[in-house]
Amino acid sequence: MLTLTKEIHSLIQAHGVATYPNEGCGVLLGLAEDGRNQVTAIRPLPNVWPNEDEKPMRFRIDPQDWRDAEFDALAEGLDIIGIFHSHPDHPPIASPRDLAWASWPGYSYLITEVRDGRPQASRSWQLAEDRSGFVEERVEIE
Amino acid sequence: MATIRIPAPLRPYAGGNSSVAVAGGDVSAALADLGQQFPELRQHLFDGEKLRSFVNLYLDKQDIAKLQGLATPLTDGDTLLIIPSIAGGGH
Repeated sequence: MLTLTKEIHSLIQAHGVATYPNEGCGVLLGLAEDGRNQVTAIRPLPNVWPNEDEKPMRFRIDPQDWRDAEFDALAEGLDIIGIFHSHPDHPPIASPRDLAWASWPGYSYLITEVRDGRPQASRSWQLAEDRSGFVEERVEIE
Repeated sequence: MATIRIPAPLRPYAGGNSSVAVAGGDVSAALADLGQQFPELRQHLFDGEKLRSFVNLYLDKQDIAKLQGLATPLTDGDTLLIIPSIAGGGH
């Protein structure tokens, strides 16, 4: 389960709008306890997908940006507990591309649809233990 | 001994630890020691004998790929970070 506040969800939606029509991305910071990922902050990161024309349907996070976010989280007593990204004009469903480049079970993959430049619903996914696919998790926006 | 920081989702496979002290004179030996201490963790870092393609290792702030790779020497007090490469796309 993923929990976050309305304010944080609004920030994630706003980032998706700001980066539209490209995919926007970043990391979810917070605490992971007993299967519950609780977001307390986010850090938007650049989409460094190498082909500009493909950014409306692809994203990549530079490992060095992730490293910097990791150090910042550590300084605040937080962890990176997931990734957020937008799907411009596409449903917030984990795609075969998301699966192909997934990392570890346990991270929340929060996806926000942005349609015609306006933010829509978000859904969250976690990689199955056997890496065979993504399993949807409950999102609680408090 | 060096220390390896464990990413949050991998801690259940590492006894709940956020960092683990490891023996070994280079990155390869340190990872082997980590795998011996926590065998369930190994599958998340390695695919067979090779590091998974999305796994990057940083020695403090430097990518070991830009040092000597898995042969990068470690000394007491060094900290290794495990950093994933993340990508994806809507369709």
